[in-house]
Amino acid sequence: MVPEKMEFFIDANRCIGCKACFQACSECDTHKGVSMIHLETIDRERSVQTVPVVCMHCEDPTCAQVCPADAIKRTPDGVVQTARKSRCIACSNCVLACPFGVPKMESGRGASVSGFNLMMKCDMCYDRTSVGKKPMCATVCPSGALFYGTREQMQKERPRSRPINEFRFGQQTVKTKVNVLVPRDSALEQLKVTDALGSQPDILLLGMYQEEEP
Amino acid sequence: MSKLPVAPEQLEAHYGPHLQFPGGKHLQSGLEIDRLVKTHCCFCGQQCGIQLKVAHQQVVGFEPWEDFPFNRGMLCPKGIKRYLQGGHPDRLLTALQRDPAAAGGFRPLEYPQAIAQTAAAIAKIQEQHGFAAFGVLSGASLTSEKAYLMGKFARVCLRTPYIDYNGRLCMVSAGAANKKAFGVDRGGNPWSDILGAELIWISGANVAECAPITTHYVWQAREQGARVVVVDPRVTPLARTCDLFLPIKPGRDVALFNGILHLMIEKDWLDHAFIEKYTVGFEKLAESVREWTPRRTAQVCGLNQKLVEQAAEWWGTASTSFLMHARGIEHHSHGVQNVLGAINIVLASGRIGRENCGYSTITGQANGQGGREHGQKCDQLPGGRDISNPEHRAHVAGIWGVAPDDLPQAGVDAYELFRKIDQGEIKGLLTLCFNPKVSLPDSEFVARCLDKLEFYAAIDFFLNETAQHADIVLPGSLQEEDEGVVCSAEGRVIRIRKAIDCPGEARQDWRIIQDLAAALKRPQGFEFQHPGQIFDELRRASQGGVVDYSGITYEKIEASYGVFWPCPSEEHPGTPRLFEPDSWNVVARGQGPFYFPDGKARFQVADYSPPQEEVDEEYPLILTTGRVISQFLSGTQTRRIGPLAEMHPAPWLEVHPQLAAKLGLKAGDTALVESRRSSIELTTKVVNTIRPDTVFVPYHWAGRESINRLTIAAQDPISKIPEYKACAVRVRRLEHGS
Amino acid sequence: MTRERWNAGMLALTATLLLAFAIAAGSRDFHNFDAALIGYTFSTLFATFGVAYRYAMWLQRPPTAMYWRRGWTVFFRPGHLLANCRVWLHRVLGEFAANEFIFRRSKRRWLTHMLLMWGCILASAVTFPLVFGWIHFATDADRLDFYRVHVFGIPTFAFPTESLFGFLLFHALVWASFLVIAGCLMALRRRLRDAGAQALQQFAEDWAPLILLFAISVTGLMLTASYTWMKGYGYEFLALLHAVTVIATLIWLPFGKFFHIFQRPAQLGVNFYHEVGGKETQQPCLRCDRPFASQMHVKDLMTVEKQLGFHYELDEQRHYQQVCPACRRALLGLSQGEAWKGISRDV
Repeated sequence: MVPEKMEFFIDANRCIGCKACFQACSECDTHKGVSMIHLETIDRERSVQTVPVVCMHCEDPTCAQVCPADAIKRTPDGVVQTARKSRCIACSNCVLACPFGVPKMESGRGASVSGFNLMMKCDMCYDRTSVGKKPMCATVCPSGALFYGTREQMQKERPRSRPINEFRFGQQTVKTKVNVLVPRDSALEQLKVTDALGSQPDILLLGMYQEEEP
Repeated sequence: MSKLPVAPEQLEAHYGPHLQFPGGKHLQSGLEIDRLVKTHCCFCGQQCGIQLKVAHQQVVGFEPWEDFPFNRGMLCPKGIKRYLQGGHPDRLLTALQRDPAAAGGFRPLEYPQAIAQTAAAIAKIQEQHGFAAFGVLSGASLTSEKAYLMGKFARVCLRTPYIDYNGRLCMVSAGAANKKAFGVDRGGNPWSDILGAELIWISGANVAECAPITTHYVWQAREQGARVVVVDPRVTPLARTCDLFLPIKPGRDVALFNGILHLMIEKDWLDHAFIEKYTVGFEKLAESVREWTPRRTAQVCGLNQKLVEQAAEWWGTASTSFLMHARGIEHHSHGVQNVLGAINIVLASGRIGRENCGYSTITGQANGQGGREHGQKCDQLPGGRDISNPEHRAHVAGIWGVAPDDLPQAGVDAYELFRKIDQGEIKGLLTLCFNPKVSLPDSEFVARCLDKLEFYAAIDFFLNETAQHADIVLPGSLQEEDEGVVCSAEGRVIRIRKAIDCPGEARQDWRIIQDLAAALKRPQGFEFQHPGQIFDELRRASQGGVVDYSGITYEKIEASYGVFWPCPSEEHPGTPRLFEPDSWNVVARGQGPFYFPDGKARFQVADYSPPQEEVDEEYPLILTTGRVISQFLSGTQTRRIGPLAEMHPAPWLEVHPQLAAKLGLKAGDTALVESRRSSIELTTKVVNTIRPDTVFVPYHWAGRESINRLTIAAQDPISKIPEYKACAVRVRRLEHGS
Repeated sequence: MTRERWNAGMLALTATLLLAFAIAAGSRDFHNFDAALIGYTFSTLFATFGVAYRYAMWLQRPPTAMYWRRGWTVFFRPGHLLANCRVWLHRVLGEFAANEFIFRRSKRRWLTHMLLMWGCILASAVTFPLVFGWIHFATDADRLDFYRVHVFGIPTFAFPTESLFGFLLFHALVWASFLVIAGCLMALRRRLRDAGAQALQQFAEDWAPLILLFAISVTGLMLTASYTWMKGYGYEFLALLHAVTVIATLIWLPFGKFFHIFQRPAQLGVNFYHEVGGKETQQPCLRCDRPFASQMHVKDLMTVEKQLGFHYELDEQRHYQQVCPACRRALLGLSQGEAWKGISRDV
């Protein structure tokens, strides 16, 4: 069982796009050799902004609901497991339906597309977290964009930040086991993900940049 | 004549770089592990703790080492995939002899015969042309034991003054400036001092890609309310989220620091008490920055004046701060001046030598700090001692059991060593852990020099591009195949543990050196049985020096996750933070915290001069070079690790959209970049995140992909660091990329 | 009782009755039926009910129903039926008979699955017809050293009792058990050694089926050993033990991992669906404008999501389902970044 007090927190702002998470992920025993984490470069021409995306482990996972094969199960400790190999029929429903864009249709190295006929996704390193260790990605992440620990530890180390785990996509609210960090003083109760549809990454997120040519 | 034996393509076909991906044992889930070895990463100067998984005499993976305080299990992709060097198909398992008739240009040679032939060739050259006709080039990724032994081997066994190392390309500007200002060459603080700083200033350091773990320290400080100022021609990943970004024109850092100091004086943001009590030379310096008005500073630096003033205000009014810099300000023909400028604003603020107040260069190589402490530098002896100082010579000569007069005098820097080869003064060369053909500027000149050598022996574990010129290649060891210590960017001396034995005929590098000494019939002083014995001698050699290791033992390091030098006795706990007000050091002897007889730091006038090669009509753009996250230095290792090479398989050209439009370049176009020295074809990346007057190319690749064929061999007159960060180029679009 | 359950119950009942009828008819009104095997028959009937019930429930889930309907529609598209049949046969042989997709994942696991699968198929092919009385052997009246095979009571070919063919045929279950035991051992080895499998495995889901198959095979072999070499020592007990393992497996069939035997063929329908989707109009992403899936798939998912009670609609026209997965990941980063903007604008 994943200890109840251990939680996953993501602060994508910190991400430096180094792909340590991606490289470490494929060292995890439950999916050795294939990486489940996504490291998305949003628009390199405009900005160096990147975002690491792990499975958010929804309370009512859309992926499991739309799975025609009952292949995706949520454990009692709240971890949404990767597709059961015997059941998954590689229909891609989960890949297309996940609001966070997490599941992968795994083709295997050098294999043709969907050669494995299997969906795979992040299972929060169940081999590690279920025995009290940290997930690979959150252990190695050099920026702290991915953090796994207790809520107290998080609050102590990150007094500017506050975790939220509610997301809004259009009319749909999704609650997750994994948290993202927003400014402590902001009034946000949920992250309105689809409101960012018109947004583009900024060259600098917080600071100031010289606009005109000197 | 040490020319390439066969065409580069044939060499590559036989000796790589080939890519190794996880397979076999690497992919076995639940493979039974023989042991986990607590050691450190083999790549950069952060020296993250890591545990290597060993099964069947092979490193097959890693496990985070969360107890090690510096990185707490954190790693970058290089550390994560380093294990793929184990069992690599390119690994040199025998000695090789140059043989143009062999398919790959080399044929295997029995190890004893290779040693005998190498020794004979060295002896022949030295008999005919004198001891100084043979040169040694060493590296800053070696353990301190090996670095120490290389210095001793050159001076005592080969009796040549000509030894230098690739730290010359790394942080010597910082080292030289630190010695001038503080009297000691070491980062002033442990990284934990970053955490409580109110202001963090990062100049010329792509922290996210070159020192990734430091990112976490910066963010932890931000969470406690710190502001972050980044000065860089490019918006690096950490810069994206900083509070104030100064997109400086390459090579103008000293002007900025002088401008900051000008405003500090004008607004009286100075720590007068500190300046009075702990420094000398402020008046002269103040006079010299009078001309650096914000207006002029902004103009020279290519910055908006408001940004300069804002930065000065934040720096001037902070109560705690940490200033870091790296190669961005050091790789210049005035690199030492740039660093002195940085040190000046630190000293003027009085924010050094106490908690949360710090200054450091971020060393680049695995043993970037330790590799420059114990005598493989051309002008230096162990313990940070000076080879031209008679007292220092006498101490070391005593330890080595030779007459002080028998020790050669100072040699020359690594680049000058090649000029001496070019001029025919040096006729033979031994290299270890150095790939100058890729890493030195104007590298076609370096290749021509290699061709001129009468005899060249290389020790390495993969056949790097320089070693391809060798007459004899001796199969050396990977980091995980030997014991020893290194010194991290923080000044923390830590233990490298042996995880496995060398495969095949490969030997630990220090054994190869000792075998050579024996074959040269001068084995005295090269009869160690274990790196621990070398370390014990190193400790004695460093005793009483500035870089005093005498109180450090392997056991002590392991018991306390490293020991910070100076550590002059076994009871001494080490010195995490330098320059604390009441601290004692061997030079000041209680007079003050800095390493001068009066204990006071030196303000040094930091003169601005532009890069040696300014842009002009013919070559109108500034080329700056740097690293990427997944590759390391000349790429000998990382270009062979499949998952890392895949992240960045080839170099590219970064241009701003405005410049791209002017040049008619679009993303993905092939561009021809030309300097006065050579030209290169690169794929274009159009990005907002670079100055429009500057283009960037990463430098990890060899041959046609090597940007160092274009860079300039201009060097700082003091540190001799090459000017990698600025030279003039022109760029045009190629209709049909070849 | 919900409508779905009523439907499923009726279907399961029908299937069970059909099987019962087939047993009665196939054994010529129980003339060829071996009463000693009655326990097997009843557990098979139970399993039939269970499997059919669960299958029917499963088919009624919105996503499954959608695929079921679409799969058949696509398969029977006019003008494509012949080609589809050819592809279908190809896939049945490649993906199912030869387990090619498992081969691509891991050769060792492919061998494991092939051994288990073919062992079970062989054993079932022998056991069920015998139990149901659909096949029986009788000594030929004129040639006493010959056996004749009767299928549904109809005499077919005969073969010499003391022949290699006879030996192989009469010991078919032995060969099947060899395959299954080898497969079980390989699977057990993995479950004991593979750290990933150990983290995820559950007793009921992963261990129980292996234990059951192993137990059936071993007790079956012991039966053979008992009557071949040990003059029937402990035969009664062993027969009972064997029956218990088989019955337990049959009863477990609708619940645990074994159910994938019935679910898995749905993959064939999915393949046809994807093939047709690939040729039809693609859905461009609302954010990056790049096509990422077939419009049919996106629309079907929108329908399914609605049926399931999700509301991913953005407005009257736009639906979140029309944003590609990569852009969804980017949006997560962008929206979190937006929350932090201005935090440091004190300059």
